[in-house]
Amino acid sequence: MDWPSFFQSIANGILIAGLYAAVTLGLTLVLGVMGIVNFAHGEMVMLGAYSTFWLFSLLGIDPMLSIAMSGLILFFIGLPIYRFTIRPILKDPPLNQLLLTLGISIFLQNMAMMLWKTDSRSVITSYSGMSLHLEMVHIGLTRLITFMISVVLTVLLVFFLYKARLGRAMRAVSENNTASWLIGINVQKTYLLAFGVASGLAGASGALVSTIMYTFPMVGFKLSLKAFCILILGGLGNISGALFGSLILGLTESFVGTYVPEGSGWAEGISFILIMIILIIKPTGLAGTRRE
Amino acid sequence: MNRSFSWKTVILLSALAIFMIFYPKIVDSYFLHLTVATFLAMIMASSWDILARTGQVSVGQAGLFGVGAYTAALLYQRVHIPPVLGMLAGAILATVVAFFLGYLTLRLRGIYFAITTIAFAEALSVIWLMTPRITGGAMGVSTPPLFNGNREQAYYLILIILALVIFVVWLIESSRLNFAFTAIRENEEVANVMGINPTRYKVLAFLISAFFTGFAGGFYSHYNTYIIPYEVFGLGISIACLVMPIFGGLYTIAGPIIGTILIKAIEEYLRVTFSYGHQIAYGLILVVVVLFMPEGLLGLWKRKIFPLFKQPHRV
Repeated sequence: MDWPSFFQSIANGILIAGLYAAVTLGLTLVLGVMGIVNFAHGEMVMLGAYSTFWLFSLLGIDPMLSIAMSGLILFFIGLPIYRFTIRPILKDPPLNQLLLTLGISIFLQNMAMMLWKTDSRSVITSYSGMSLHLEMVHIGLTRLITFMISVVLTVLLVFFLYKARLGRAMRAVSENNTASWLIGINVQKTYLLAFGVASGLAGASGALVSTIMYTFPMVGFKLSLKAFCILILGGLGNISGALFGSLILGLTESFVGTYVPEGSGWAEGISFILIMIILIIKPTGLAGTRRE
Repeated sequence: MNRSFSWKTVILLSALAIFMIFYPKIVDSYFLHLTVATFLAMIMASSWDILARTGQVSVGQAGLFGVGAYTAALLYQRVHIPPVLGMLAGAILATVVAFFLGYLTLRLRGIYFAITTIAFAEALSVIWLMTPRITGGAMGVSTPPLFNGNREQAYYLILIILALVIFVVWLIESSRLNFAFTAIRENEEVANVMGINPTRYKVLAFLISAFFTGFAGGFYSHYNTYIIPYEVFGLGISIACLVMPIFGGLYTIAGPIIGTILIKAIEEYLRVTFSYGHQIAYGLILVVVVLFMPEGLLGLWKRKIFPLFKQPHRV
């Protein structure tokens, strides 16, 4: 067996899984707290990637520094989106919520096409080409940094949800919003901030996306579908499930990319095939939790 | 609802039929082309609405459209089958695909079905790109112009299909299927208890929807003379299929038709004005409709203009 390429596949899979996890975090938060599958989440990631790209190419700000800025920008984009579109339909049937967020997603995709055309853009920094050589494996420096930042984002979110007052309020609201209201939690404000934080996470992960993928208007949609696949793999609305799902998807794509002829093209289709197979076999998703 | 026509309806319908038959003589070629495109979209919108009547939202009509388009184009390219037969073959293959997909996934509730249909269309797009020897790959497939580029004949063909779709929708509306579909949409458990097998009816609705969407795909490939996977399996087509009927008003004959005419007009204007992103209107309309006019334009019409005559009622 060709061990170097085997280990290389594992390393690549784990590294890309970090990025996928970062993209899925915000989606999980919104789904967990308010029970909405936000189709526009990928477009928030796309906007985060574009803001990083422009900060880099116009002002020369390093993408790793603009993660916080992209996050903040998207946080403030997320607030009005929640207030004027999501809030009125919180109690609507899931399909209406789907159509609304799908509408926002289409709107943002096409707005990006109008503003920035359909060109693929990439952020190339002075350290983009560098890589580390361990025993048999090559690890791109940019990929390693994005992976570590994804880990940091995940840890921060977990700390926020379990230690911070606001984060605990979010968990309380996701358990039972009436009871939370009774004990004095401002449910509306909690929803608003949860959506804002989720959008901010999307913006931050968009910054990571811009460094290792091409940035183009449809990149968010592609990532949305991968994130849905991850949710279905790992169970809806919990962070550990999202991490598990990301790892499975990342490794599967990476192994298909290495061992199947013309694998990198086929790897793009893995998430779609997984979505269909899992839902057909087990209609509630692999982990079996169901939120409607 | 009853099946008997009043004289007024018969006269109106005949007048409309005569107008439609002589229509190509009174408009110029560009406008005729727009009309063909609009009729094609109407077919897709009405087909989507048939499935929506059972409470299922498909976001992957492009998958069926693409199967129809490629079947017709590839059959012509490989064995020179006459275009209309190719379109029919495309429609049949799309129906077969829908049977398997629907049978496996229509047990899924709303949002899962929607996500599966997107995944289906995108998966087909990847498969098409990766098997260029069979499918033509990213280069696409081209065919000679339909009817040697005679737009009038193309117009009559699409007119016949559109009339057929509307007739089928009317048949559904005036038969017992309407009750079954509505019952499943309103409450699946109750429908099940009443002896309606929800999955069976949903699959039936999906098959009808797929047949016409597949035919539309076949027509598109020959009329447009050139198809590529990104386009025929693309999100844009799936979105168009669902926004037009939602905008016009769901579960009606007129809703998808009116929605399509208005959206095509807006889209054509934007297409001329902006070089990219003219589907922005679809997103905006979807958001506005869900937030402010859940029954679409027809709902607004009923509520705001005729409230004195008739109480708005829900089926």
